Amino acid sequence: MSRRQVEFFFSFRSPYSYLAGPRAFALADRHDVDVVFRGVIPMAMRGQSVPMAKRLHTLRDVKREADRLGLPFGRIHDPIGDGALRCLLVAEHARDAGRVREFVLGASRAIWAEAVDVATDAGLRGVCERAGLDWPACAAALDDPGIRARVDASTERLLELGHWGVPVFTLDGELFWGQDRLEDVERALAR
Amino acid sequence: MTPRDRLQRRVVPRLVVHLSTVRAPARAAALLRRAAGRADTVRLYVAYDDPYSAVAVLGLTDRLRGRRARLLIEPVVQRGIPGDPAVEAKRRYAVVDARRLAARDDRTLTRSEPLRPEATAFLAGWTAAIGDPVRRAAFSAAAMAQLWCASSGPVDRAPFAALWDEHVGGPPPADDGGTALPAERGMRLRRLYDTPVAVVHGQWFFAHERLPQIEHRLDELAGRAGA
Repeated sequence: MSRRQVEFFFSFRSPYSYLAGPRAFALADRHDVDVVFRGVIPMAMRGQSVPMAKRLHTLRDVKREADRLGLPFGRIHDPIGDGALRCLLVAEHARDAGRVREFVLGASRAIWAEAVDVATDAGLRGVCERAGLDWPACAAALDDPGIRARVDASTERLLELGHWGVPVFTLDGELFWGQDRLEDVERALAR
Repeated sequence: MTPRDRLQRRVVPRLVVHLSTVRAPARAAALLRRAAGRADTVRLYVAYDDPYSAVAVLGLTDRLRGRRARLLIEPVVQRGIPGDPAVEAKRRYAVVDARRLAARDDRTLTRSEPLRPEATAFLAGWTAAIGDPVRRAAFSAAAMAQLWCASSGPVDRAPFAALWDEHVGGPPPADDGGTALPAERGMRLRRLYDTPVAVVHGQWFFAHERLPQIEHRLDELAGRAGA
């Protein structure tokens, strides 16, 4: 019988995805389950506007949640645009290289807690190398249409599931939206 | 990077986060409130067609019991992000998700289909007509429990009229929820865009998923928790 899978839909532009990352990947450490990373293009880059009130609330709420979870948050460099896309492309390469967890956690921390501009080669390279990735291979992934197609496919899959935001987790056909729903995922895994 | 880019990507987000950590004014106000013998308040904006609002009202009713804090219920019908393309999908998902959230508090939602706002608008009108905040909160909790935890299918007004009689007395008002509610204006003024939102002395929370955090905020105001 094949192992159960948790799909983890993630955006580098989503601070809630950043909060979810460590616990989401850790599911595989505690349960007999594979965590499958699915990086998606941010809502704001898919033509969906986010009102100012929502953006402000998100920052304040994430700060409270980050404090509760013991994660650093606040030295921000918003990666919307090239930065978010470049991270998504490198994340696909990192999956192939077996370093997706290290890269995703490192990159999201760099964006939301260390103010690293991942749209620059200097910024992204440092993140890649800290994750144990070879920079020339990462740079090649940025121009690889096959890698880009995988990002688009993950984004499409989220839409096919009828969902809109991130982070989202799927398990056995059930869908969970929000970093604070990981405890429900855990409960479902224990069933 | 242009100066505008720097402002938008780095300076403003950092400033917003930093300002959100300033606790002293709220704590000072809480001290003054207590010195004057007044309670803290949790102002909760709710919609009866919203299962998350049921989770919030019932969860906060439990959690505020015995605390020196008042629950002020603000009923609305109109809310949400204008032009939100996912509004129907969110409505369907909310029922599934609220069922899981309710289970955390050992509650079971009896509805598996979303309700239309117009089906429950009369409850918002009735709730808004109750002037006494204690009775208003009690009626709202009883009505949410009846609506989401004790019934299914089309909304029948009779059990709610009985709840009105029990908590307020007499027949319910004629208001059918067709008129704009004062709380809807309050939400707009505070730039709150969806329910259930709890405003707790300068901070606000989507209450259905932040119940422990609201308790923490009250502890913080009372000087019982670290910053």
